[in-house]
Amino acid sequence: MRKLLRTIFLVDLIQGLWVTFRNQHPKNIYTEQYPAQRPRIAERFRGAPRLNINPETGETLCIACDLCALACPENLIVVSSERNKQTRRKELTTFTYDTSRCMFCGLCEDACPVDALELTQDFELASYTREGAIWDRQMLEEGPKPTWYRY
Amino acid sequence: METTPWESELTERLRRVFGEQILEFASYLGQNFLVARPEAVVPILQYLRDEVGFDYLVDVTAVDYPEREERFDLIYIVYSFSRNERIRIKTRIREGFEPQTATVVHPTANWLEREVYDMFGIRFAQHPDMRRILLPDDWEGHPLRKDYNILDMDNRWVKDNLGIESGQ
Amino acid sequence: MPEATFLDANELILNMGPQHPSTHGVLRVILKLDGEKILGTECVIGYLHRGVEKIGENRTYAMFAPYVDRMDYVAAVSNGLGYCLAVEKLLNVEAPPRAQAVRVILTELNRIASHLLWLGTHALDIGAITPLFYVMREREEILNIFEAYCGARLTTHAFRIGGLQYEVYEGMEKQVKAFCKMFLPRVDEYEELLTENRIWKDRLVGVGVLTAEQCKQYGVTGPMLRAAGVKWDIRKAQPYSGYEKYDFEIPTRTNGDTYDRYIVRIQEMRQSVRMIEQAVDDIPEGPIMAKVGKVIKPPVGEAYVSIEAPKGELGYFIVSDGSTQPYRVRVRPPSFVNLQALDTMARGGLVADIVAIIGTIDIVLGEIDR
Ligand code: SF4
Ligand code: SF4
Repeated sequence: MRKLLRTIFLVDLIQGLWVTFRNQHPKNIYTEQYPAQRPRIAERFRGAPRLNINPETGETLCIACDLCALACPENLIVVSSERNKQTRRKELTTFTYDTSRCMFCGLCEDACPVDALELTQDFELASYTREGAIWDRQMLEEGPKPTWYRY
Repeated sequence: METTPWESELTERLRRVFGEQILEFASYLGQNFLVARPEAVVPILQYLRDEVGFDYLVDVTAVDYPEREERFDLIYIVYSFSRNERIRIKTRIREGFEPQTATVVHPTANWLEREVYDMFGIRFAQHPDMRRILLPDDWEGHPLRKDYNILDMDNRWVKDNLGIESGQ
Repeated sequence: MPEATFLDANELILNMGPQHPSTHGVLRVILKLDGEKILGTECVIGYLHRGVEKIGENRTYAMFAPYVDRMDYVAAVSNGLGYCLAVEKLLNVEAPPRAQAVRVILTELNRIASHLLWLGTHALDIGAITPLFYVMREREEILNIFEAYCGARLTTHAFRIGGLQYEVYEGMEKQVKAFCKMFLPRVDEYEELLTENRIWKDRLVGVGVLTAEQCKQYGVTGPMLRAAGVKWDIRKAQPYSGYEKYDFEIPTRTNGDTYDRYIVRIQEMRQSVRMIEQAVDDIPEGPIMAKVGKVIKPPVGEAYVSIEAPKGELGYFIVSDGSTQPYRVRVRPPSFVNLQALDTMARGGLVADIVAIIGTIDIVLGEIDR
């Protein structure tokens, strides 16, 4: 009898609908309005790579040790260096990083002994060409310059 | 591999039943395995399932050692729910040898053996459906063999089916 | 005898997929039908094959770890844990207690995330759209924890061989506890939506039955096996990563149908919360990395290590030849083996049920095809 009444009055369905109804309240809105509202990115986020420079002198921190290139499973980092005749130290000449093949695993970042290479919180990596995904030293030092979305 | 011998009541029983067919009982890092002749594998699986209770075939896989004469290691992993025990059965086979299928004992071997065939080119005799499983049917080569370079692919297949030159 | 007409040709071959919303990826199923009845099925897989095992042979041990995340991408943390445990077994080291506790927390969170995604998509296939939005909301919280902990949301690469790379971030305990507190009522909410719902029940009860015997024959593991009444969970049977310290139950049901699998997974989420609460309450102090060298070079040997992934038994069989690269990495994917039972479950059922049955296996094609 109880069961029959429950069936007739659609109790199970109304119960379910009540849940939907409860969640209608504006304070339960969860969607982020992405381009308008910037998402909060965690500090450890592994996004766009950056080659750190010494803020005072503007010199790169990288000592061209090639460890990041060796650690990368995808072999996408190419470091080239030249030995400075006077100081007899290796100096970085070019540094390329192919973001199109990168899987942001963070192994290169972990391998770097001087914290020169870092994966940052930038996540907007789209570019118009495939070549645009290959970043050179300048781009890595200055960071990507995305065209801001206008709305 | 520094193995230690594996002795237990189970090995006694297996030795009594299969005798010379089982070449070695060993244990490495606490994991027990036995090495058997290729013909004996399916009977052993059958015996283990019916008499001992190893009723779950976990995995069938192979390892390629190209410089060995018996080129492939074929590995079966079985588990027993009642004994909470896992053992491996290994056997060595030459290129071209067709081991018996284990599908008659464990139906789950069907896809697992198809994958072994796909990746290593080991055909299983009397298998109900011996086709490739992951790669396309007309692909050439067996990728997990050691002589298959990681950059290799079936260029003809890529050209015929996708209409592009392969990027490698 | 009159000539056969097209009316007699009652066997129909229907192709489903690879691009079909309810196959959860690129799975192609060829159905043999007699009217509405399924006479047989055949799965065509491999569309997502990337040769992970071959890649593994050509990478060092540490380098291969990020690739395993890409197999079962909804449960990347579990994959990583299995791989790390397998290499640790070969090296004969064990992660320190602190690392183990954090590993348990993250894997259990990942189990919840995986079950949530399964619940949402499965319900969507059956016709209940609302749960999808709710589960995504809760999953977001878990992914936020992952992001704050290791910097990635999906392909986390959270663990390293020998322990952890990242220390627990500040406020992690609080965030995890808050999640647990918020989550349990939400599970009740899903149950309110679905468990007694008559459409849900009509579509699921008695569909895709797999008995315990059949499960064992087909090597089916995970929630599917437990729904058939076998109380077996690797976390209890052969505990790893300190699971023996935590108190939890293995939920089981007896019918082995799609509805029971739903109940088992819902219960499992509750058990996971229970475990997380225990683990987060006392994360032991100490180092997070065991003593493994910078270059990982296990001695010659082989080992098979398996863990209870959200979908079933996930095993890694690694052969080492003493060099820095594995000689062979074999992954035993749970979805691959579980999918094999599709034919048994679907045979004799109706076409409409195939969607429910594919959904209930909880497949991830990235793992099946590797
Ligand atoms: S994040 Fe990983 S894939 Fe990308 S460059 Fe660094 S090591 Fe290579
Ligand atoms: S590891 Fe660091 S210091 Fe060495 S080459 Fe790479 S970025 Fe430069």
